[in-house]
Amino acid sequence: MTGPATSRAVPAGTADSPAVPGPVPRTLPWLLTLGGAIGLLAAFTLTVERFELLVDPSYTPSCSINPVLSCGSVMTTEQAALFGFPNPLLGIAGFAVVLTSGVVLLAGARLPLWYWGGLLAGAGAGTVFVHWLIFQSLYRIGALCPYCMVVWAVTIPIFAYVALAVLDRAGAAVRPLYAGLARYHAVPVVLWFVVIIGLALQRFWTYWSSLL
Amino acid sequence: MSRNVTISLAVLGGFALILAGLLFATRPDAAQPAAAGETYAVPEAPRLNDAPDAQVTMVEFLDFQCPGCAQLQPVMSQIADQYGDRVDFVIRYFPLPSHQNAEPAAVAAEAAHQQGQFVPMYERIFQTQPQWAEQDDAAGVFRGYAEELGLDMAAYDAAVAAPATLERVNADEQAGVDAGVGGTPTFFVDGEQLRPESVQDITDALDRALGEQGR
Repeated sequence: MTGPATSRAVPAGTADSPAVPGPVPRTLPWLLTLGGAIGLLAAFTLTVERFELLVDPSYTPSCSINPVLSCGSVMTTEQAALFGFPNPLLGIAGFAVVLTSGVVLLAGARLPLWYWGGLLAGAGAGTVFVHWLIFQSLYRIGALCPYCMVVWAVTIPIFAYVALAVLDRAGAAVRPLYAGLARYHAVPVVLWFVVIIGLALQRFWTYWSSLL
Repeated sequence: MSRNVTISLAVLGGFALILAGLLFATRPDAAQPAAAGETYAVPEAPRLNDAPDAQVTMVEFLDFQCPGCAQLQPVMSQIADQYGDRVDFVIRYFPLPSHQNAEPAAVAAEAAHQQGQFVPMYERIFQTQPQWAEQDDAAGVFRGYAEELGLDMAAYDAAVAAPATLERVNADEQAGVDAGVGGTPTFFVDGEQLRPESVQDITDALDRALGEQGR
């Protein structure tokens, strides 16, 4: 294998193309493994905290300007169980699949396009859900919960790089699009983070500026 | 370095610069001990009582959607009755960003204050807190209270709509941040922050302040 991945002459998906598609074939298995593990731990912790909250619904009556201190309040909201059960249960299932996929790739497996497509569908649904949660957290609940933010932070790059991997294998029609995106693959992810961090800073500016 | 990395770093660097600039430009004055005689009371702020000869000033920064403030409201009204001739009880708004209806509540209370009807509105808003806290149209609920209290509704609507009313609320909040208020309720007795753990702590602080004045 010589030259940059984007100038490969072999048809997409053949045995001659690299086992892992996308602009960062060596990093992607690690991104899935570590991102999946971190997301899994965060979702697991949130679920455990949720159970503890049920056991001991102790309640602090004073109110803080600090959005992070209001963490307990996030978990008792109706948005915390959109489908009738605690949201982090979805995270436990989803991130376990991401983690397993990463480990399988590290073991040297070559996954077919349909598998990548399935992974993208799951990551896409997770990304839509996470953005709904970000909106609710910032503009409806008005509090930030650290473990939730960990989940936001791993979901976005997982989705972005799985999407690039699928584009890489998706055939000649999307080749120019893929080539352009692959060259600057980190830029959309960085911009994405900057926008969300910017919104969180703006929303709770009174508090952040009081820290100085 | 690839252009992918260069552009990503440039975006991050630009963001960090803008952030640092904004933080620098909007930083509050360093929280320092109140200047001698600073009580955090302002003449335009609403009062729980009318005490022209008050020797002591007690200021409460409150958030109408904070359950702790609501629990304390009957206690504060009782203390204001008990000490009303000697202590000036000043209310300042501190709507927290985590409470979506705290700001409309403060604006409604301020609009009532402009008609000299702060206390009934303040009691009403606190006593019905669970009914409007999660409502999408809390302002409409408060307007209903204003009608029931017999306020001049044309003046009330004008006050709620006026940017100056919201500016009054925001000015209180900024004054609170500058004074080191980190949550609600926060009390100052003659400019000294009080951290009460019981009702007794509040009355003790007032007795002490009044005792010092008497000497």
